[in-house]
Amino acid sequence: MVARKLPRIVALAARMLGDRDEADDVAQEAFLRIWKIAPKWRSGSARFDTWLHRVTLNLCYDRLRRHRETSVSDDWPEQADLAPLPDERLDTAHASAHIRRALATLPARQREALVLQYYQELSNAEAAAAMGVSVEALESLLARARRNLRTALADLANTGDDAPKEHR
Amino acid sequence: MTPERFRQLTEAYGASPERWPAGERDAALALVHAGDAQTLAALAEARALDSMLDAHAVAAPSPALARRIVASAPAQPARAFWRRPRIWFSGVGFVGAGAAGVAAGALLASLLAPAPAPGDSAHGGWFEQSYSGTAFGGAPSDWSDQ
Repeated sequence: MVARKLPRIVALAARMLGDRDEADDVAQEAFLRIWKIAPKWRSGSARFDTWLHRVTLNLCYDRLRRHRETSVSDDWPEQADLAPLPDERLDTAHASAHIRRALATLPARQREALVLQYYQELSNAEAAAAMGVSVEALESLLARARRNLRTALADLANTGDDAPKEHR
Repeated sequence: MTPERFRQLTEAYGASPERWPAGERDAALALVHAGDAQTLAALAEARALDSMLDAHAVAAPSPALARRIVASAPAQPARAFWRRPRIWFSGVGFVGAGAAGVAAGALLASLLAPAPAPGDSAHGGWFEQSYSGTAFGGAPSDWSDQ
């Protein structure tokens, strides 16, 4: 169970929060919830996966709310993976950081839709169920997310590595 | 499907057909195969964004995190010996179940055997035969003359 689910939970939280240490903490909390509910779980694995995504997202939203309340600056959190790397890995790491920053500019619901549908590879129906919206609403969120992401990436490219504006 | 709808699809779901809604996938692919210029342009734009999204890698969880999580799992309460599935499916389980079956069968046969009716020669013969060689039966031959 841990080997199978942990990478997906960490990836989801890391992309939602933009911070790896916090993502690890969220994964640990998510598993504490799993241990509580797992003995009673009777439904299929697809519904368990959707439930697990919802639990992880709720934990991410708790942290995002806390950040909004305690944030005193708009500084970007720096991560260990941005440290100097050998040349062949530098471009990849740079591109990854670029996307992470652009993702962070999206409104949380748009980011959630994109992360669930694109990175977590949930089906449209599963992603919509995890978000508690219709498939049509998911499509709308995804379209806005991708449009805003393109704009954010263009902003980043024009201004170097300065933080792009937050999108609506 | 119209090229406008195709653009809406790729703007929401990206360039990979497997991400498109199943009900519209075939019609969308037909439009691509038809080579419509607007369609191909929309597909190329979506593919460019997809490739940027693919650049965002998340490193695998550390073994230390996995160990911490495994350690946080509650210990399973020990099951009674006879409730452990491994015992039942092991050789010990099969032999034990077989022996129990034989014992139960023998008990059942003894309980179901009809009691001998007085004067019933068949049952009398059976009993006679059964006990004839024991201390409770008479000797098979009369040796008193010898």
